[in-house]
Amino acid sequence: MTKLLEVTNITAGYGDGPAILDGAHLTVEPGKVHCIIGPNGAGKSTLLKAICGMLSIRKGDVVFKGERLNGLRPDQILRKGICFVPQERALFPKMTVRENLRMGGFILDDKKELERRIDGILERFPILRERAEQHAGTMSGGQQQTLAMARTLIIKPDIVMLDEPSLGLAPKIVQEMFDIMKMMSAEGVTVLLVEQNALMGLKNADWGVVLDLGRTLFEGPAATVLADPRIQELYLGGKKAA
Amino acid sequence: MAEILQILILGLALGGVIALMGSGLSLVFGVMRIVNLAHPSLIIGGAYITYLAFKALGVDPIVMLPVAAVIMAAIGVVLYRLVFQREAKSAKYSEMTVLLTFALAMMVEGLLGGLFTNTQRVTSPDYATAAFFIGDVFIPKGQFYAGVVSLTIIAALSLFLKYSRLGYAIRATTQNREAAELLGVNVQFISILAFAIGIGLAGAAGSLVSFVFSFFPAKHWEWIAMLMSVVVLGGMGSILGTVVGALFLSVVAAFVGTWIGATWSTLTFFLALFIILLVRPQGLFGEKPELA
Repeated sequence: MTKLLEVTNITAGYGDGPAILDGAHLTVEPGKVHCIIGPNGAGKSTLLKAICGMLSIRKGDVVFKGERLNGLRPDQILRKGICFVPQERALFPKMTVRENLRMGGFILDDKKELERRIDGILERFPILRERAEQHAGTMSGGQQQTLAMARTLIIKPDIVMLDEPSLGLAPKIVQEMFDIMKMMSAEGVTVLLVEQNALMGLKNADWGVVLDLGRTLFEGPAATVLADPRIQELYLGGKKAA
Repeated sequence: MAEILQILILGLALGGVIALMGSGLSLVFGVMRIVNLAHPSLIIGGAYITYLAFKALGVDPIVMLPVAAVIMAAIGVVLYRLVFQREAKSAKYSEMTVLLTFALAMMVEGLLGGLFTNTQRVTSPDYATAAFFIGDVFIPKGQFYAGVVSLTIIAALSLFLKYSRLGYAIRATTQNREAAELLGVNVQFISILAFAIGIGLAGAAGSLVSFVFSFFPAKHWEWIAMLMSVVVLGGMGSILGTVVGALFLSVVAAFVGTWIGATWSTLTFFLALFIILLVRPQGLFGEKPELA
Protein backbone atom coordinates (compact mmCIF):
# COMPACT_ATOMS: atom_id res chain seq x y z
CA MET A 1 0.00 0.00 0.00
CA THR A 2 1.38 3.44 -0.98
CA LYS A 3 1.49 5.74 2.00
CA LEU A 4 0.98 9.46 1.60
CA LEU A 5 0.64 10.15 5.30
CA GLU A 6 1.43 7.88 8.19
CA VAL A 7 0.57 8.57 11.81
CA THR A 8 2.35 6.22 14.20
CA ASN A 9 1.21 5.74 17.80
CA ILE A 10 0.89 9.39 18.65
CA THR A 11 0.17 10.90 22.05
CA ALA A 12 -1.20 14.45 22.09
CA GLY A 13 -3.39 16.75 24.18
CA TYR A 14 -4.27 20.37 24.82
CA GLY A 15 -1.60 22.43 26.58
CA ASP A 16 -0.36 20.67 29.69
CA GLY A 17 -3.64 18.79 30.09
CA PRO A 18 -4.13 15.03 29.93
CA ALA A 19 -3.44 13.18 26.70
CA ILE A 20 -6.51 12.98 24.46
CA LEU A 21 -4.73 10.78 21.94
CA ASP A 22 -2.71 7.89 23.24
CA GLY A 23 -1.71 5.31 20.69
CA ALA A 24 -3.55 6.66 17.65
CA HIS A 25 -2.34 5.49 14.28
CA LEU A 26 -3.48 6.03 10.75
CA THR A 27 -2.37 5.33 7.21
CA VAL A 28 -3.50 7.56 4.36
CA GLU A 29 -3.36 6.45 0.75
CA PRO A 30 -3.21 8.99 -2.06
CA GLY A 31 -6.42 9.93 -3.86
CA LYS A 32 -8.77 8.11 -1.51
CA VAL A 33 -11.44 9.20 0.97
CA HIS A 34 -10.67 8.17 4.55
CA CYS A 35 -13.30 8.42 7.25
CA ILE A 36 -12.50 8.46 10.97
CA ILE A 37 -15.40 7.38 13.16
CA GLY A 38 -15.81 6.93 16.89
CA PRO A 39 -17.88 8.09 19.83
CA ASN A 40 -17.80 11.61 21.25
CA GLY A 41 -14.53 12.25 23.02
CA ALA A 42 -12.68 9.54 21.07
CA GLY A 43 -10.11 12.10 19.88
CA LYS A 44 -11.19 12.33 16.22
CA SER A 45 -10.91 16.12 15.92
CA THR A 46 -7.82 16.08 18.13
CA LEU A 47 -6.15 13.71 15.69
CA LEU A 48 -6.74 16.10 12.78
CA LYS A 49 -5.47 19.01 14.88
CA ALA A 50 -2.35 17.08 15.80
CA ILE A 51 -1.66 16.27 12.14
CA CYS A 52 -2.02 19.90 11.03
CA GLY A 53 0.23 21.25 13.79
CA MET A 54 -2.39 22.91 15.98
CA LEU A 55 -1.43 20.61 18.84
CA SER A 56 2.06 19.51 19.74
CA ILE A 57 2.72 15.80 19.52
CA ARG A 58 4.15 14.39 22.74
CA LYS A 59 5.04 10.96 21.42
CA GLY A 60 4.92 9.17 18.08
CA ASP A 61 5.37 10.47 14.56
CA VAL A 62 3.45 12.10 11.76
CA VAL A 63 5.21 11.43 8.47
CA PHE A 64 4.06 12.98 5.20
CA LYS A 65 5.70 11.96 1.90
CA GLY A 66 8.57 10.56 3.94
CA GLU A 67 9.08 13.80 5.91
CA ARG A 68 8.45 14.05 9.65
CA LEU A 69 5.99 16.84 10.47
CA ASN A 70 6.34 16.81 14.29
CA GLY A 71 6.98 20.29 15.66
CA LEU A 72 6.00 22.22 12.53
CA ARG A 73 3.52 25.11 12.74
CA PRO A 74 0.14 24.91 10.92
CA ASP A 75 1.30 27.38 8.26
CA GLN A 76 4.40 25.26 7.61
CA ILE A 77 2.34 22.06 7.34
CA LEU A 78 -0.06 23.77 4.95
CA ARG A 79 2.87 24.64 2.70
CA LYS A 80 3.73 20.92 2.62
CA GLY A 81 0.28 20.27 1.13
CA ILE A 82 -2.05 19.42 4.02
CA CYS A 83 -5.13 21.60 4.39
CA PHE A 84 -7.52 21.49 7.36
CA VAL A 85 -11.12 22.70 7.61
CA PRO A 86 -12.16 22.67 11.29
CA GLN A 87 -15.73 22.26 12.52
CA GLU A 88 -16.20 26.02 12.75
CA ARG A 89 -15.35 26.26 9.02
CA ALA A 90 -12.63 28.84 9.65
CA LEU A 91 -14.07 31.59 7.48
CA PHE A 92 -13.51 35.32 7.79
CA PRO A 93 -17.04 36.65 8.37
CA LYS A 94 -16.36 40.25 7.42
CA MET A 95 -14.49 39.36 4.25
CA THR A 96 -16.33 38.74 1.00
CA VAL A 97 -16.43 35.31 -0.61
CA ARG A 98 -13.77 36.45 -3.08
CA GLU A 99 -11.56 37.76 -0.26
CA ASN A 100 -11.98 34.49 1.62
CA LEU A 101 -10.86 32.63 -1.49
CA ARG A 102 -7.92 35.02 -1.78
CA MET A 103 -6.96 34.11 1.78
CA GLY A 104 -7.20 30.46 0.73
CA GLY A 105 -4.29 31.15 -1.60
CA PHE A 106 -2.32 33.23 0.87
CA ILE A 107 0.74 31.03 0.48
CA LEU A 108 0.81 31.47 -3.30
CA ASP A 109 3.26 34.11 -4.49
CA ASP A 110 1.93 34.51 -8.03
CA LYS A 111 -0.99 36.95 -7.78
CA LYS A 112 -2.16 36.41 -11.36
CA GLU A 113 -2.19 32.66 -10.87
CA LEU A 114 -4.13 33.13 -7.62
CA GLU A 115 -6.79 35.24 -9.36
CA ARG A 116 -6.97 32.65 -12.17
CA ARG A 117 -7.57 29.87 -9.64
CA ILE A 118 -10.20 31.95 -7.80
CA ASP A 119 -12.03 32.48 -11.11
CA GLY A 120 -11.81 28.72 -11.68
CA ILE A 121 -13.38 28.00 -8.28
CA LEU A 122 -16.13 30.55 -8.86
CA GLU A 123 -16.82 28.92 -12.22
CA ARG A 124 -17.18 25.49 -10.61
CA PHE A 125 -19.30 26.64 -7.67
CA PRO A 126 -22.10 28.84 -9.05
CA ILE A 127 -23.45 29.60 -5.57
CA LEU A 128 -20.10 31.18 -4.69
CA ARG A 129 -19.96 33.07 -7.99
CA GLU A 130 -23.40 34.55 -7.29
CA ARG A 131 -22.25 35.66 -3.87
CA ALA A 132 -18.66 36.58 -4.68
CA GLU A 133 -18.99 40.08 -3.21
CA GLN A 134 -21.12 39.05 -0.21
CA HIS A 135 -19.64 38.85 3.28
CA ALA A 136 -19.11 35.22 4.28
CA GLY A 137 -20.72 35.80 7.67
CA THR A 138 -24.04 36.62 6.04
CA MET A 139 -24.30 33.32 4.12
CA SER A 140 -26.21 30.20 5.17
CA GLY A 141 -24.46 27.29 6.91
CA GLY A 142 -24.38 25.20 3.73
CA GLN A 143 -23.00 28.06 1.67
CA GLN A 144 -20.33 28.71 4.29
CA GLN A 145 -19.35 25.05 4.28
CA THR A 146 -19.20 25.04 0.46
CA LEU A 147 -16.93 28.08 0.63
CA ALA A 148 -14.72 26.48 3.29
CA MET A 149 -14.32 23.31 1.22
CA ALA A 150 -13.92 25.06 -2.12
CA ARG A 151 -11.32 27.37 -0.60
CA THR A 152 -9.03 24.44 0.15
CA LEU A 153 -8.78 23.70 -3.58
CA ILE A 154 -7.10 27.03 -4.33
CA ILE A 155 -3.68 25.73 -3.33
CA LYS A 156 -4.22 22.30 -4.94
CA PRO A 157 -3.36 20.43 -1.73
CA ASP A 158 -2.40 16.76 -1.48
CA ILE A 159 -4.65 16.16 1.52
CA VAL A 160 -7.78 17.96 2.68
CA MET A 161 -8.84 17.18 6.25
CA LEU A 162 -12.48 17.92 7.03
CA ASP A 163 -13.78 17.96 10.58
CA GLU A 164 -17.49 17.15 10.60
CA PRO A 165 -18.46 19.03 7.45
CA SER A 166 -22.10 17.97 7.88
CA LEU A 167 -22.43 19.47 11.35
CA GLY A 168 -25.58 21.55 11.67
CA LEU A 169 -26.59 21.17 8.02
CA ALA A 170 -29.91 19.96 6.58
CA PRO A 171 -29.80 16.41 5.10
CA LYS A 172 -30.10 17.68 1.51
CA ILE A 173 -27.19 20.06 2.04
CA VAL A 174 -25.16 17.29 3.71
CA GLN A 175 -25.38 15.26 0.50
CA GLU A 176 -24.07 18.27 -1.42
CA MET A 177 -21.06 18.38 0.91
CA PHE A 178 -20.35 14.71 0.25
CA ASP A 179 -20.69 15.35 -3.48
CA ILE A 180 -18.07 18.08 -3.23
CA MET A 181 -15.86 15.69 -1.31
CA LYS A 182 -16.23 13.05 -4.02
CA MET A 183 -15.38 15.64 -6.63
CA MET A 184 -12.22 16.48 -4.71
CA SER A 185 -11.29 12.84 -4.56
CA ALA A 186 -11.97 12.38 -8.28
CA GLU A 187 -9.51 15.19 -8.93
CA GLY A 188 -6.81 13.34 -7.02
CA VAL A 189 -7.12 15.17 -3.70
CA THR A 190 -6.87 12.81 -0.75
CA VAL A 191 -9.62 13.37 1.80
CA LEU A 192 -9.37 12.65 5.50
CA LEU A 193 -12.77 13.07 7.07
CA VAL A 194 -14.07 13.06 10.62
CA GLU A 195 -17.78 12.44 10.59
CA GLN A 196 -20.31 12.13 13.38
CA ASN A 197 -22.75 10.53 10.95
CA ALA A 198 -20.57 7.42 10.77
CA LEU A 199 -22.82 5.47 8.43
CA MET A 200 -22.94 8.21 5.83
CA GLY A 201 -19.25 8.95 6.24
CA LEU A 202 -18.21 5.36 5.69
CA LYS A 203 -20.59 4.91 2.75
CA ASN A 204 -18.83 7.78 1.01
CA ALA A 205 -15.33 6.66 1.97
CA ASP A 206 -12.79 4.14 0.68
CA TRP A 207 -11.03 3.62 3.99
CA GLY A 208 -12.38 3.56 7.53
CA VAL A 209 -10.65 4.22 10.83
CA VAL A 210 -12.25 3.50 14.18
CA LEU A 211 -10.98 5.58 17.06
CA ASP A 212 -11.96 5.18 20.71
CA LEU A 213 -10.50 6.63 23.90
CA GLY A 214 -7.68 8.23 21.93
CA ARG A 215 -6.43 5.06 20.26
CA THR A 216 -7.04 3.41 16.93
CA LEU A 217 -9.09 0.26 17.33
CA PHE A 218 -9.31 -0.71 13.70
CA GLU A 219 -8.54 0.56 10.22
CA GLY A 220 -9.33 -1.01 6.90
CA PRO A 221 -11.48 -0.72 3.79
CA ALA A 222 -14.65 1.25 4.54
CA ALA A 223 -16.80 -1.66 3.30
CA THR A 224 -15.12 -3.97 5.81
CA VAL A 225 -15.69 -1.51 8.64
CA LEU A 226 -19.33 -1.13 7.62
CA ALA A 227 -19.83 -4.87 7.50
CA ASP A 228 -18.24 -5.62 10.87
CA PRO A 229 -21.09 -6.55 13.27
CA ARG A 230 -19.19 -5.38 16.33
CA ILE A 231 -18.53 -1.95 14.82
CA GLN A 232 -22.12 -1.78 13.64
CA GLU A 233 -23.27 -2.43 17.18
CA LEU A 234 -20.86 -0.06 18.89
CA TYR A 235 -20.47 2.85 16.50
CA LEU A 236 -23.23 2.68 13.91
CA GLY A 237 -26.11 2.37 16.34
CA GLY A 238 -26.71 -1.19 15.25
CA LYS A 239 -27.49 -0.04 11.69
CA LYS A 240 -26.41 -2.32 8.89
CA ALA A 241 -25.01 -0.88 5.70
CA ALA A 242 -27.59 -0.90 2.92
CA MET B 1 -24.59 79.91 11.16
CA ALA B 2 -20.96 81.00 11.08
CA GLU B 3 -20.60 79.89 14.69
CA ILE B 4 -21.95 76.44 13.93
CA LEU B 5 -19.62 76.10 10.95
CA GLN B 6 -16.73 77.31 13.09
CA ILE B 7 -17.42 74.75 15.82
CA LEU B 8 -17.90 72.02 13.25
CA ILE B 9 -14.54 72.73 11.59
CA LEU B 10 -12.69 72.83 14.90
CA GLY B 11 -14.38 69.61 16.02
CA LEU B 12 -13.55 67.80 12.80
CA ALA B 13 -9.91 68.93 12.79
CA LEU B 14 -9.40 67.74 16.36
CA GLY B 15 -11.42 64.62 15.60
CA GLY B 16 -8.92 63.70 12.89
CA VAL B 17 -6.06 63.80 15.38
CA ILE B 18 -8.04 61.84 17.97
CA ALA B 19 -8.88 59.28 15.26
CA LEU B 20 -5.17 58.76 14.64
CA MET B 21 -4.55 58.52 18.39
CA GLY B 22 -7.22 55.84 18.65
CA SER B 23 -6.49 53.89 15.45
CA GLY B 24 -3.38 52.23 16.86
CA LEU B 25 -5.28 51.25 19.98
CA SER B 26 -8.04 49.76 17.86
CA LEU B 27 -5.66 47.88 15.55
CA VAL B 28 -3.77 46.32 18.43
CA PHE B 29 -7.00 45.24 20.10
CA GLY B 30 -8.38 43.87 16.84
CA VAL B 31 -5.41 41.67 16.03
CA MET B 32 -4.21 40.66 19.49
CA ARG B 33 -7.11 41.38 21.85
CA ILE B 34 -4.76 43.59 23.86
CA VAL B 35 -6.55 46.49 25.53
CA ASN B 36 -3.47 48.66 25.52
CA LEU B 37 -3.96 51.07 28.40
CA ALA B 38 -0.39 52.23 27.81
CA HIS B 39 -1.23 53.52 24.31
CA PRO B 40 -1.70 57.18 25.33
CA SER B 41 1.50 57.13 27.38
CA LEU B 42 3.29 55.94 24.24
CA ILE B 43 1.67 58.78 22.29
CA ILE B 44 3.23 61.09 24.86
CA GLY B 45 6.53 59.28 24.26
CA GLY B 46 6.21 60.19 20.56
CA ALA B 47 5.38 63.77 21.53
CA TYR B 48 8.56 64.05 23.62
CA ILE B 49 10.71 62.65 20.78
CA THR B 50 9.23 65.33 18.51
CA TYR B 51 9.62 68.00 21.18
CA LEU B 52 13.30 67.16 21.66
CA ALA B 53 13.98 67.27 17.90
CA PHE B 54 12.17 70.60 17.65
CA LYS B 55 13.96 72.18 20.58
CA ALA B 56 17.43 70.82 19.88
CA LEU B 57 17.50 70.85 16.08
CA GLY B 58 14.48 72.90 15.05
CA VAL B 59 12.96 69.97 13.17
CA ASP B 60 9.35 70.59 12.17
CA PRO B 61 6.96 68.24 14.03
CA ILE B 62 5.29 67.08 10.81
CA VAL B 63 8.70 66.35 9.25
CA MET B 64 9.61 64.51 12.44
CA LEU B 65 6.45 62.40 12.31
CA PRO B 66 7.84 59.45 10.29
CA VAL B 67 10.94 59.35 12.50
CA ALA B 68 8.86 59.30 15.70
CA ALA B 69 6.66 56.62 14.16
CA VAL B 70 9.62 54.40 13.30
CA ILE B 71 11.27 54.87 16.71
CA MET B 72 8.02 54.04 18.52
CA ALA B 73 7.36 51.07 16.21
CA ALA B 74 10.79 49.70 17.12
CA ILE B 75 9.97 50.22 20.80
CA GLY B 76 6.70 48.40 20.09
CA VAL B 77 8.58 45.35 18.77
CA VAL B 78 10.76 45.26 21.87
CA LEU B 79 7.76 45.69 24.19
CA TYR B 80 5.83 42.94 22.42
CA ARG B 81 8.67 40.49 22.66
CA LEU B 82 9.50 41.35 26.26
CA VAL B 83 6.02 41.77 27.71
CA PHE B 84 3.28 40.24 25.60
CA GLN B 85 4.73 37.36 23.62
CA ARG B 86 5.37 35.17 26.63
CA GLU B 87 1.77 35.62 27.80
CA ALA B 88 0.23 34.96 24.36
CA LYS B 89 -0.74 31.38 25.15
CA SER B 90 -2.30 32.20 28.50
CA ALA B 91 -6.00 31.40 28.72
CA LYS B 92 -6.51 34.78 30.41
CA TYR B 93 -4.42 36.68 27.88
CA SER B 94 -6.79 39.64 27.38
CA GLU B 95 -7.33 40.11 31.12
CA MET B 96 -3.59 39.78 31.75
CA THR B 97 -2.79 42.42 29.14
CA VAL B 98 -5.08 44.93 30.86
CA LEU B 99 -2.96 44.62 34.00
CA LEU B 100 0.30 44.50 32.07
CA THR B 101 -0.49 47.59 30.01
CA PHE B 102 -1.70 49.44 33.11
CA ALA B 103 1.67 48.72 34.72
CA LEU B 104 3.42 49.69 31.50
CA ALA B 105 1.56 53.02 31.42
CA MET B 106 2.73 53.73 34.98
CA MET B 107 6.30 52.86 34.05
CA VAL B 108 6.32 55.03 30.94
CA GLU B 109 4.82 57.90 32.94
CA GLY B 110 7.47 57.48 35.63
CA LEU B 111 10.28 57.30 33.07
CA LEU B 112 9.08 60.38 31.19
CA GLY B 113 8.51 62.21 34.49
CA GLY B 114 12.07 61.43 35.53
CA LEU B 115 13.48 62.59 32.21
CA PHE B 116 11.34 65.64 31.52
CA THR B 117 9.61 66.55 34.83
CA ASN B 118 5.87 67.22 34.95
CA THR B 119 6.11 70.62 33.29
CA GLN B 120 3.61 71.15 30.46
CA ARG B 121 5.32 71.17 27.06
CA VAL B 122 4.31 72.06 23.55
CA THR B 123 6.18 72.41 20.29
CA SER B 124 5.55 75.73 18.62
CA PRO B 125 6.13 75.74 14.88
CA ASP B 126 4.93 78.94 13.17
CA TYR B 127 1.71 77.39 11.92
CA ALA B 128 0.69 76.28 15.43
CA THR B 129 -0.51 79.80 16.21
CA ALA B 130 -1.57 80.86 12.69
CA ALA B 131 -4.98 80.51 11.04
CA PHE B 132 -6.78 80.58 7.71
CA PHE B 133 -9.77 82.88 7.46
CA ILE B 134 -12.78 82.16 5.28
CA GLY B 135 -15.16 85.02 5.85
CA ASP B 136 -15.97 85.03 9.55
CA VAL B 137 -14.73 81.50 10.03
CA PHE B 138 -11.16 80.88 11.12
CA ILE B 139 -9.35 77.59 10.82
CA PRO B 140 -6.29 77.19 13.06
CA LYS B 141 -3.48 76.03 10.78
CA GLY B 142 -2.00 73.71 13.39
CA GLN B 143 -5.23 71.82 13.99
CA PHE B 144 -6.04 71.81 10.28
CA TYR B 145 -2.66 70.39 9.28
CA ALA B 146 -2.77 67.85 12.09
CA GLY B 147 -6.28 66.75 11.10
CA VAL B 148 -5.39 66.42 7.42
CA VAL B 149 -2.15 64.53 8.14
CA SER B 150 -4.00 62.22 10.55
CA LEU B 151 -6.74 61.37 8.11
CA THR B 152 -4.16 60.87 5.33
CA ILE B 153 -2.25 58.39 7.51
CA ILE B 154 -5.47 56.55 8.38
CA ALA B 155 -6.47 56.44 4.70
CA ALA B 156 -3.05 54.98 3.84
CA LEU B 157 -3.43 52.45 6.65
CA SER B 158 -6.88 51.47 5.39
CA LEU B 159 -5.59 51.00 1.82
CA PHE B 160 -2.72 48.90 3.18
CA LEU B 161 -5.14 46.74 5.18
CA LYS B 162 -7.58 46.41 2.29
CA TYR B 163 -5.27 45.65 -0.61
CA SER B 164 -1.81 44.47 0.48
CA ARG B 165 -0.93 40.87 1.20
CA LEU B 166 0.14 41.75 4.74
CA GLY B 167 -3.03 43.79 5.14
CA TYR B 168 -5.09 40.74 4.21
CA ALA B 169 -3.15 38.73 6.79
CA ILE B 170 -3.76 41.36 9.49
CA ARG B 171 -7.49 41.54 8.71
CA ALA B 172 -7.75 37.77 8.61
CA THR B 173 -5.94 37.43 11.94
CA THR B 174 -8.27 40.06 13.41
CA GLN B 175 -11.38 38.13 12.33
CA ASN B 176 -10.28 34.56 12.96
CA ARG B 177 -6.80 33.97 14.27
CA GLU B 178 -6.96 30.17 14.07
CA ALA B 179 -8.31 30.22 10.51
CA ALA B 180 -5.58 32.62 9.43
CA GLU B 181 -2.96 30.29 10.84
CA LEU B 182 -4.53 27.31 9.08
CA LEU B 183 -4.33 29.18 5.77
CA GLY B 184 -0.63 29.82 6.07
CA VAL B 185 -0.44 33.12 7.94
CA ASN B 186 2.39 33.28 10.45
CA VAL B 187 0.20 34.81 13.13
CA GLN B 188 3.13 35.34 15.46
CA PHE B 189 4.83 37.57 12.90
CA ILE B 190 1.54 39.31 12.08
CA SER B 191 0.98 40.02 15.78
CA ILE B 192 4.40 41.63 16.09
CA LEU B 193 3.84 43.59 12.87
CA ALA B 194 0.40 44.81 13.96
CA PHE B 195 1.71 45.78 17.38
CA ALA B 196 4.61 47.66 15.78
CA ILE B 197 2.21 49.48 13.43
CA GLY B 198 -0.10 50.28 16.35
CA ILE B 199 2.70 51.76 18.45
CA GLY B 200 4.12 53.44 15.34
CA LEU B 201 0.75 55.15 14.92
CA ALA B 202 1.03 56.26 18.56
CA GLY B 203 4.41 57.80 17.68
CA ALA B 204 2.95 59.53 14.62
CA ALA B 205 0.02 60.81 16.69
CA GLY B 206 2.52 62.03 19.29
CA SER B 207 4.22 64.26 16.72
CA LEU B 208 0.91 65.91 15.85
CA VAL B 209 -0.27 66.08 19.45
CA SER B 210 2.95 67.91 20.34
CA PHE B 211 1.70 71.12 18.71
CA VAL B 212 -2.06 70.64 19.06
CA PHE B 213 -2.21 70.00 22.82
CA SER B 214 0.12 70.80 25.66
CA PHE B 215 1.36 67.59 27.22
CA PHE B 216 3.13 66.23 30.27
CA PRO B 217 3.79 62.63 31.41
CA ALA B 218 0.56 62.17 33.42
CA LYS B 219 -1.63 63.54 30.61
CA HIS B 220 -2.24 59.99 29.36
CA TRP B 221 -4.84 59.32 32.11
CA GLU B 222 -7.09 61.92 30.55
CA TRP B 223 -6.54 60.56 27.06
CA ILE B 224 -7.13 56.88 27.75
CA ALA B 225 -10.75 57.52 28.74
CA MET B 226 -11.23 59.73 25.69
CA LEU B 227 -9.66 57.16 23.35
CA MET B 228 -11.59 54.26 24.86
CA SER B 229 -14.82 56.20 24.25
CA VAL B 230 -13.89 56.72 20.62
CA VAL B 231 -12.80 53.13 20.03
CA VAL B 232 -15.76 51.60 21.87
CA LEU B 233 -18.22 53.83 20.00
CA GLY B 234 -16.72 52.82 16.66
CA GLY B 235 -16.46 49.15 17.63
CA MET B 236 -13.29 47.70 19.13
CA GLY B 237 -10.97 46.65 16.32
CA SER B 238 -12.62 48.72 13.58
CA ILE B 239 -10.43 51.48 12.11
CA LEU B 240 -13.38 52.95 10.21
CA GLY B 241 -15.38 52.89 13.43
CA THR B 242 -12.58 54.69 15.25
CA VAL B 243 -12.55 57.47 12.65
CA VAL B 244 -16.33 57.88 12.72
CA GLY B 245 -16.37 57.72 16.53
CA ALA B 246 -13.56 60.27 16.85
CA LEU B 247 -15.07 62.75 14.40
CA PHE B 248 -18.55 62.41 15.90
CA LEU B 249 -17.51 62.73 19.55
CA SER B 250 -15.08 65.56 18.84
CA VAL B 251 -17.74 67.57 17.07
CA VAL B 252 -20.23 66.91 19.87
CA ALA B 253 -17.58 67.84 22.46
CA ALA B 254 -16.82 71.04 20.54
CA PHE B 255 -20.49 72.04 20.59
CA VAL B 256 -20.82 71.13 24.26
CA GLY B 257 -17.65 73.06 25.08
CA THR B 258 -18.85 76.17 23.29
CA TRP B 259 -22.49 76.21 24.25
CA ILE B 260 -22.50 74.64 27.71
CA GLY B 261 -18.97 75.11 29.01
CA ALA B 262 -15.44 73.82 28.49
CA THR B 263 -15.59 71.73 31.66
CA TRP B 264 -18.45 69.73 30.20
CA SER B 265 -16.65 69.09 26.94
CA THR B 266 -14.48 66.27 28.35
CA LEU B 267 -17.54 64.77 30.00
CA THR B 268 -18.99 64.17 26.52
CA PHE B 269 -16.52 61.36 25.97
CA PHE B 270 -17.10 59.70 29.35
CA LEU B 271 -20.86 59.94 29.02
CA ALA B 272 -20.68 58.48 25.52
CA LEU B 273 -18.60 55.55 26.79
CA PHE B 274 -21.12 54.87 29.52
CA ILE B 275 -24.13 55.01 27.18
CA ILE B 276 -22.51 52.90 24.44
CA LEU B 277 -21.57 50.16 26.88
CA LEU B 278 -25.14 50.07 28.14
CA VAL B 279 -26.95 50.32 24.83
CA ARG B 280 -24.72 48.84 22.14
CA PRO B 281 -21.55 47.36 23.63
CA GLN B 282 -20.28 46.20 20.24
CA GLY B 283 -20.24 49.85 19.05
CA LEU B 284 -21.27 51.16 15.64
CA PHE B 285 -19.19 48.88 13.43
CA GLY B 286 -18.29 46.04 15.75
CA GLU B 287 -20.75 43.34 14.78
CA LYS B 288 -21.75 40.43 16.94
CA PRO B 289 -20.12 37.20 15.73
CA GLU B 290 -21.99 35.94 12.71
CA LEU B 291 -20.41 32.53 12.33
CA ALA B 292 -21.47 29.71 14.57
